[in-house]
Amino acid sequence: MAKTQRVHVKLNGQEREAEIEPRLLLAHFIRDVLGLTGTHLGCDTSNCGACTVILDGRPIKSCTFFAVQADGRELLTIEGMMRDGKLHPLQQGFHEEHGLQCGFCTPGMILSAYALLRGNPSPSEEEIRWGISGNMCRCTGYQNIVKAIQNAAAKMQQEGVAA
Amino acid sequence: MAVRIEKTFQVQEPIDQVWKLLSDPRNVAGCVPGARITEAVDERTFKGSVSVKVGPSVTDYKGEVRFERLDAAAHEMELVGKGQDVKGRGSASMKMTGRLRSLPDGGTEVATVAEVNVIGILAQFGGRMINDVSDVMFGEFTKRFQKRLQESAGAVKPAVAPAAGQDPVAPTPAAPVAVETTAPEQPPAEPVNAAAVFFAALRAAIRRFFHRLLGGSA
Amino acid sequence: MIAKTSPEIGGLGHSVKRKEDLRLIQGKGNFVDDVRLAGMVYGQVVRSPFAHARIRSVNVENALALPGVLAVITGKDLEKAGLAWMPTLFHDRQMVLAVDKVLFQSQEVAFVVAEDRYTAADAAELVEVEYEELPVLVDPHRALDPDSPILREDREEKTNHIFHWEVGDREATDRTFQQAEVRAQVNAIFQRCHPAPLETCGCVADYNTGTGRLTLWLTSQAPHAHRTLFAIVGGIPENNIRVISPDIGGGFGNKVPIYPGYVCAVVASLKLGRPVKWIETRSENLQSTGFARDYHMTAEIAAGRDGRVKALRVKTLADHGAFNAAAQPSKFPAGLFSVCTGSYDFQKAFCEVDGVYTNKAPGGIAYRCSFRVTEAAYLIERAMDVLAQELKADPAELRLKNFIPPDRFPYQSPLGWSYDSGNYAAAMNRALEMAGYQELRKEQAAKRAKGELMGIGISSFTEIVGAGPAHTFDIAGIKMFDSCEIRVHPTGKAIARFGTKSQGQGHETAFGQIVAQELGIPVADITVEEGDTDTAPYGLGTYASRSTPTAGAAGAMAARKIRDKAKKIAAFLLEASEEDLEWEPGRFSVKGVPGKSKTIQEIAFAAYTNIPPGLEAGLEAVHYYDPPNLTFPFGTYICVVDIDKGTGETKVRRFIAVDDCGNIINPMIVDGQIHGGLTEGLGIAFMQLISYDESGNVQGGNFMDYLVPTAMETPHWETDKTCTPSPHHPFGAKGVGESPNVGSPAAFVNAVVDALAHLGVKHIDMPLTPWKVWQILKQKGVVD
Repeated sequence: MAKTQRVHVKLNGQEREAEIEPRLLLAHFIRDVLGLTGTHLGCDTSNCGACTVILDGRPIKSCTFFAVQADGRELLTIEGMMRDGKLHPLQQGFHEEHGLQCGFCTPGMILSAYALLRGNPSPSEEEIRWGISGNMCRCTGYQNIVKAIQNAAAKMQQEGVAA
Repeated sequence: MAVRIEKTFQVQEPIDQVWKLLSDPRNVAGCVPGARITEAVDERTFKGSVSVKVGPSVTDYKGEVRFERLDAAAHEMELVGKGQDVKGRGSASMKMTGRLRSLPDGGTEVATVAEVNVIGILAQFGGRMINDVSDVMFGEFTKRFQKRLQESAGAVKPAVAPAAGQDPVAPTPAAPVAVETTAPEQPPAEPVNAAAVFFAALRAAIRRFFHRLLGGSA
Repeated sequence: MIAKTSPEIGGLGHSVKRKEDLRLIQGKGNFVDDVRLAGMVYGQVVRSPFAHARIRSVNVENALALPGVLAVITGKDLEKAGLAWMPTLFHDRQMVLAVDKVLFQSQEVAFVVAEDRYTAADAAELVEVEYEELPVLVDPHRALDPDSPILREDREEKTNHIFHWEVGDREATDRTFQQAEVRAQVNAIFQRCHPAPLETCGCVADYNTGTGRLTLWLTSQAPHAHRTLFAIVGGIPENNIRVISPDIGGGFGNKVPIYPGYVCAVVASLKLGRPVKWIETRSENLQSTGFARDYHMTAEIAAGRDGRVKALRVKTLADHGAFNAAAQPSKFPAGLFSVCTGSYDFQKAFCEVDGVYTNKAPGGIAYRCSFRVTEAAYLIERAMDVLAQELKADPAELRLKNFIPPDRFPYQSPLGWSYDSGNYAAAMNRALEMAGYQELRKEQAAKRAKGELMGIGISSFTEIVGAGPAHTFDIAGIKMFDSCEIRVHPTGKAIARFGTKSQGQGHETAFGQIVAQELGIPVADITVEEGDTDTAPYGLGTYASRSTPTAGAAGAMAARKIRDKAKKIAAFLLEASEEDLEWEPGRFSVKGVPGKSKTIQEIAFAAYTNIPPGLEAGLEAVHYYDPPNLTFPFGTYICVVDIDKGTGETKVRRFIAVDDCGNIINPMIVDGQIHGGLTEGLGIAFMQLISYDESGNVQGGNFMDYLVPTAMETPHWETDKTCTPSPHHPFGAKGVGESPNVGSPAAFVNAVVDALAHLGVKHIDMPLTPWKVWQILKQKGVVD
């Protein structure tokens, strides 16, 4: 019987805990143990960014992180992006600007964009492209993703809200 | 994935002493990190294994080493080795030539050239690191070889006794050597710690990169 | 003439926002790896590290002894069930699990099943395989050498030659070449690459011992075809198989073949009576699933000194890897490669292709290739530029001079295709205008005088999609029709199911728009479904840009059948005769009597509550569409590059893409497809290569080495359209998904070669990495 460890995380505002193997990756913890399958796995070398989640306010690749390392910390996944039962401006922006096609990169992409806008509420196109350069997309060619993020940034500036 | 490594080093010991050590595969095996000879097929062919440890898992490569050429007069030898991972993860083969040259101060210059070919997962993921990893392992080999040389030179009992019936000066007679399944004097092979080798190679590669970047030669 | 509908109805031409977005932006998509079933276990494949080796033994003892391991399947186990080999989609067979030997690095050798993913990975490490290495063949040019190893000992004919295929008039073409004033030749390699959709392949095989049914959640672009093949090969009654292709994270042709992992998961599930999930890693995906291209081509053009092309001669060597698993129509071993005469009016042409086996992963048809049209378009567009260089002619003018003129359509190409419609000059001129071509040439001349490297590349491609008519097209014997079934509910809402399967192309929205257009039901009221073989009508799936030309057409035809019945019901309700009724989207009215009309919603309600005597209840129809021909989208792309003389890096300064795909359903979706395809073309042209060293080790087998463009490398794409409808398609549409990947590589390469042409460079093979370009700059003495 492999040895296990107890892990507590605050996931999308909710306290969650589980008994897991120390070698369990955070991505598998979120998907298989906590049951939130919005975070996706697209590679095995930490290159694609599909697994991006926000840990204590910063974007990380959950495929290159052990669940035990997230013990006692706060996690935000795509499932936690809604605000008061409404779509987050980023989610809305992706929809309005056709910033997704197959949708597989989308959760990671939205969370990277979220991290970007938290630090830089009014980014230039170049800053946006740099901000999402760790997220691969095979479908969109990024053009509409950039527009989606600009759409969200503009809306949030208008409403005076932070990401 | 073929890689060529050249290493030349000098030792204080005289050429014949160095030759004696170099031309006995058990000595050579004893210097390769993680390697051991398990069986002598004939006087020139030996079966052996190399253990590689990555984290908690240990992989054994089993194979054969053969002296293609042993020229005691010219002090040249050619060694060919081939091994396969017992679990079927890949294989590696190597052709190594060693050439000794007497130095004016009575010591010996050992010049080795190895051509290594790797097949399998290592050649994919490790492709970029093969040069440096081979370099580090070879560096480890030469260090151990030099240590062994010093030990055999001094009053310390040599780690490996010469094979029964072998004239230490003259080349081995054609008569088959008794098969020894274990050489009791051989210390158990410590599996080579791949992680340590990897990081040593990485360090070396980075050092070399900056050295070149800042104008030094490779 | 296509009636314009209101935005509320959202018929053709409206950029309706996508319905599929809602679940995907919330992370509530249902991809195969999201499927969780009670009692589900996990499988992992054990793979060969050797490119060519005999298997001496497979020892599974230690793996089986690991707690949590439920089964280990070997080739010998499958052999007992007659499943060690399976047919490929193209007249060959491939090993599911190797028994006697392995033929490529990463080939499947065993399959372990365990309670969880991690235990399965541990178990895979414990399987011990003893191999005896054999000499390796990785150079396709050596495949037919007498001293090369014969790879396929299982075949009757002991040769590495798979097929020879030719089309056209060899003698007439040769004669034209003999008399030609000008000849241009290019040897172009379209390198082996890989579609690499972001979601890898996988399945959940759920054999339910209670119902006797197998439910197979599958990353499949062609669920029905897969169901039929699993039934035939696996001996499972087809009514007891349900294939569900849920949300698919990109296909690009990667998810058309049947992979050993699927078969092993099914076998494991049958054996254990539990759901078995198998999801491959990215490395497995790149190293063992269907690769793309690997075509080694030579094109020669015979022309007059006036620049008029006369004949085209093409010879190609195709590297198919260890098994011919190319997923293409059964009569076409080189796919639709013979469209290589492109947009130009060649009088004579001849094309021959030879396929060979090598110790590499199997495949060949993938990555948005339209069945080898990517290779064909690349070849002819490179050849035209080489000809332009030879003649010292402007590449745009040379093309305009040789385009098939609009009045020659339907056009019979010398290699046997009947192009439905085209207006190549219109697309070219629009692209030249958008680019400001003359200004660019002036800028280039000025820069060249200063020693700066700027290039302009043009690609005027013709595509061939929509496979295809039953008389010529089938895949593994199944004809390439497609289908749609529509049911209108009493309250006027509808559900439409199609035989295709979107992997991001937006069918849930766009195909609903087709029905909205034909029936006037608002698109928001139409549910579109694909992918469940228990409910969707039989179709051949989505790839080769065939969905709109075939299933889209079926949707229109089924809707028209419904409209015909609706007319009868309307006539009954309005107490008029059918001849007196006229239609506008959403209602039938009595001619000349304002106010006397019935909406489609009222008609639908009546179909269940007030049925005309003699008519059946309900309002539904199904249509299986056999396209009369393929469709021929086209376009002109213009690429402007600047090459850094210090690093060899190419910066794509501008890219203009003018596409013509006939009538467009959803312009927003079409533009998205163009952006995505151009980005893939960018990756292919500058970064991507799957290669093998002399021992058969794959290089480029993971995302560290196989590069995918990020937002940083990808330029801004400038797009526009011309519209030349297809004369035979129910609403004049042609399909467009692959055009950008078909047309763009040549634009990129032509631009880089153009930048270096004054130095004497005629051709460079892709990928045009900075290293490769820098070496050329060094050779020419122009490195900074």
